[in-house]
Amino acid sequence: MSLVRYLPNPSDRMGIIWTLLNVEDAIVLEYGPAGTTHYSMGLYGGLGITVNNKLFTTHMSEDDVIMGDVTRLEESLIEIDKAYNPKVIFVVASSIAAIIGSDLKGVCNYMQDEVKARLITFEGGGFRGDYSQGTHEAYKLIVKNLVKATEEKENTYNIIGASSYSYRMASDVWEIQNLLSETFGMKMHACLCLKTNADKIKTMSAAKLNIVLSNQGLSAAEYLKEKFGIPYVYAAPYGYSATAKFLEDIADVLQVKPNSGVIMRLKGKASGIAGLGMMAMMMGKRKKQIACIKGEYDNVRGLSAFLEEAHIDVPVQVSTHSIAQVEDAGNVKHYADEKEWLELFANAKDALIFADDIALMQADESNTKVTFSSPFLKSTQRATHLPFMGEKGADYLLEIIESYYNR
Amino acid sequence: MNGKEILARLPHLSEVETIKDVPQLTHALFPGTHCPLMGAAMAVGGIKDALMVIVGTDECSYYTKTLAMGLENFGGPKGRCCSVVLSQHDVTFGSTEKMHNAFKEIVEEYKPSCVFLVTTCVIEVIGDDYDSIADELSRKYEIPVLAVHTEHFKCEDHFPGLERTVTACFDLMEKTEQGKSVNVLGQRMGNFATTELYKVLKDAGVEIGMQLPSGTTLAEIKKAAQAKVNIVVHELALPLAKKMNESFGTPYVYFNKFVNPDKIMQAYTDLFKFLELPLPKEITGKFMAAKGMEKEIAPSLKGITYIYGNSPFACFEYNAYMAKLGMIPQVIQSNHLPEEAGEDIANILKFVDPYIVKAANIAPLQYVYDECKPYVYVGHEFADRLRKKGIAVLHADPAGRMQGFEAVMFILGNLQKTIEMAKEYKKEATK
Repeated sequence: MSLVRYLPNPSDRMGIIWTLLNVEDAIVLEYGPAGTTHYSMGLYGGLGITVNNKLFTTHMSEDDVIMGDVTRLEESLIEIDKAYNPKVIFVVASSIAAIIGSDLKGVCNYMQDEVKARLITFEGGGFRGDYSQGTHEAYKLIVKNLVKATEEKENTYNIIGASSYSYRMASDVWEIQNLLSETFGMKMHACLCLKTNADKIKTMSAAKLNIVLSNQGLSAAEYLKEKFGIPYVYAAPYGYSATAKFLEDIADVLQVKPNSGVIMRLKGKASGIAGLGMMAMMMGKRKKQIACIKGEYDNVRGLSAFLEEAHIDVPVQVSTHSIAQVEDAGNVKHYADEKEWLELFANAKDALIFADDIALMQADESNTKVTFSSPFLKSTQRATHLPFMGEKGADYLLEIIESYYNR
Repeated sequence: MNGKEILARLPHLSEVETIKDVPQLTHALFPGTHCPLMGAAMAVGGIKDALMVIVGTDECSYYTKTLAMGLENFGGPKGRCCSVVLSQHDVTFGSTEKMHNAFKEIVEEYKPSCVFLVTTCVIEVIGDDYDSIADELSRKYEIPVLAVHTEHFKCEDHFPGLERTVTACFDLMEKTEQGKSVNVLGQRMGNFATTELYKVLKDAGVEIGMQLPSGTTLAEIKKAAQAKVNIVVHELALPLAKKMNESFGTPYVYFNKFVNPDKIMQAYTDLFKFLELPLPKEITGKFMAAKGMEKEIAPSLKGITYIYGNSPFACFEYNAYMAKLGMIPQVIQSNHLPEEAGEDIANILKFVDPYIVKAANIAPLQYVYDECKPYVYVGHEFADRLRKKGIAVLHADPAGRMQGFEAVMFILGNLQKTIEMAKEYKKEATK
């Protein structure tokens, strides 16, 4: 990647911070120049994350950079521990701290005896990859460092891989909660990472199941499976069939019977989709139906599958983040060079486009455009009951699909 | 956190000599100061045909581009701001080749008249020589390419970014015959055309030349030396004014956003002396009106305590004037202790010796309020939160768009209302 005309992909560091800020009763302390922290408040606020009394910076002077003096960090840790009494302090290196090789782990090891809060460090500094690498690392380190064994199991599940950066993720989580409540009578325990807290994370092992919504949550789920024997189901359920299968997979894993009414309802709605293309043909709508999608890998795959069920070809499937870790990414591609994906969307004609606002801006008005991913510039995100996933998400998507058919 | 302990650690104004003597209120900061990279973006935004190229991490680029997309003068989402994002490879092996490749694309796509290569912390640590890279690119593409360095670990806030960008414009200027216009240097916010000073100059038939960085063009910068005098409305432009004075002989008048009517009167007098024009009569009228208002309001200010956070005014000049009027600054927050402020500091110390601390750390201030119990907070704070503590917030931001006696009239009027509110809030808080 050389020239970036719009917004670069958020770094691993940014992904780490927006993940950690969702843990109540924990504080994120950045070891680096203050300007970055102040600057970042706009992004986190836009993602619906509260930063007041949650995010702090030590600042860093030239003396600290040249001499490697970590006194500021030591004193900040003691101060925050005393003043705010957090259960956890996440210490995150800035790019400068990473380049000069500040030994944050070493500092936190000896400072651990001086403070009550659990100290957890993130040393990458923003050079280890894009935000997907950061969220992956954050989920993994959170479960490895904070989850403890519990004696009794509850009829609950955890969600792993729900990122604040994922557009309408709060709504998607709300929908999954409704579905699991109706189908299995289960409640959500912890959600990594949307508005959770250190106690819920500590007791994640009491849950019967982990639901993994994105690839970035797999390592954490694997760890919890190995360490505490918690099985997991990995899916981003888009569309009626995928949602029914998601619930059936959960039933299989838990060896329980699902609420058959829910499954039947979903399958009934799914059968209605099958005839959509035929109906359109019969009504004389012979235009080729094409969609372009840009978003997070799992969401792109999930939505593509649903659109294909509705007889819409999806030749453009772009992941906003690296998919190097994904074994078989299907038709989804990630472009390191911004220019390549900008051209794909600039060339789209008469297509149904689900993407971020920058990609949508490139496409002309012959297209039907839907904000589906971050960054969102013109769109906002207030509602927590308007999902893309699950049954209600499929209802909404179907309205968009039908309106596209009727254009 | 204990307010008494925090205050016990703070020096008094009389005890500090340089900004290094001024501590942070606490070690951990929230929200912390703005970044000089942001300052550079604010400045380039005001130069209509300049392109800003950020050279830094994806994070630095992301936030600055977000800012630029929100500023109308950058020209929309694609606009006049792009970035060359550094990877781990660039940190190890240097970014020169990447910049050369990216610049070729930049020239083809943006066809810029002028480019500011704005480097960030990482570049300064790895030591890539962007002054030389800018020179090479300038020669190769025959357009001005200026390097601006914005590493935050060497400075306190965003002002150095503004200052360095504005000062870099000196290299764009050409020696030319002096005319009768004036340049306005250092205005950060608002439109100069709406200020009192603008109206006074226009009424006196004075042409306004370059307005840097509030709104100018490359062509105006090139012929900036035509000005008869530079008006420096913020200290960030003093280095440029001094350079222009040395190289082109352009005199300058330091006409900061003063609050003391005597200083404003002096600035107007100096300005018209350089312009070789009589001082307009209306200036005297405005001066008398400001002094009249000062006399009327001064009794209500006596003994009123306050904490100074930030305002569009020059920090120490503002506090010196308020102390002279009988107000009591208990704590002054500032990230700068410039030499030019020496006289104002001495004037504050004639009346009071407040604590001094660095700015932009509002989280622990809550504990300081409980100890100091001021009537007024000057600056950005959560008004509801302060009201519960019996403190009213003085909103000074509109003064950022003013220049001259209008700013004094505004702030004195606003101060009077704020103090009335504060007295009410004190009653509420003690109920």
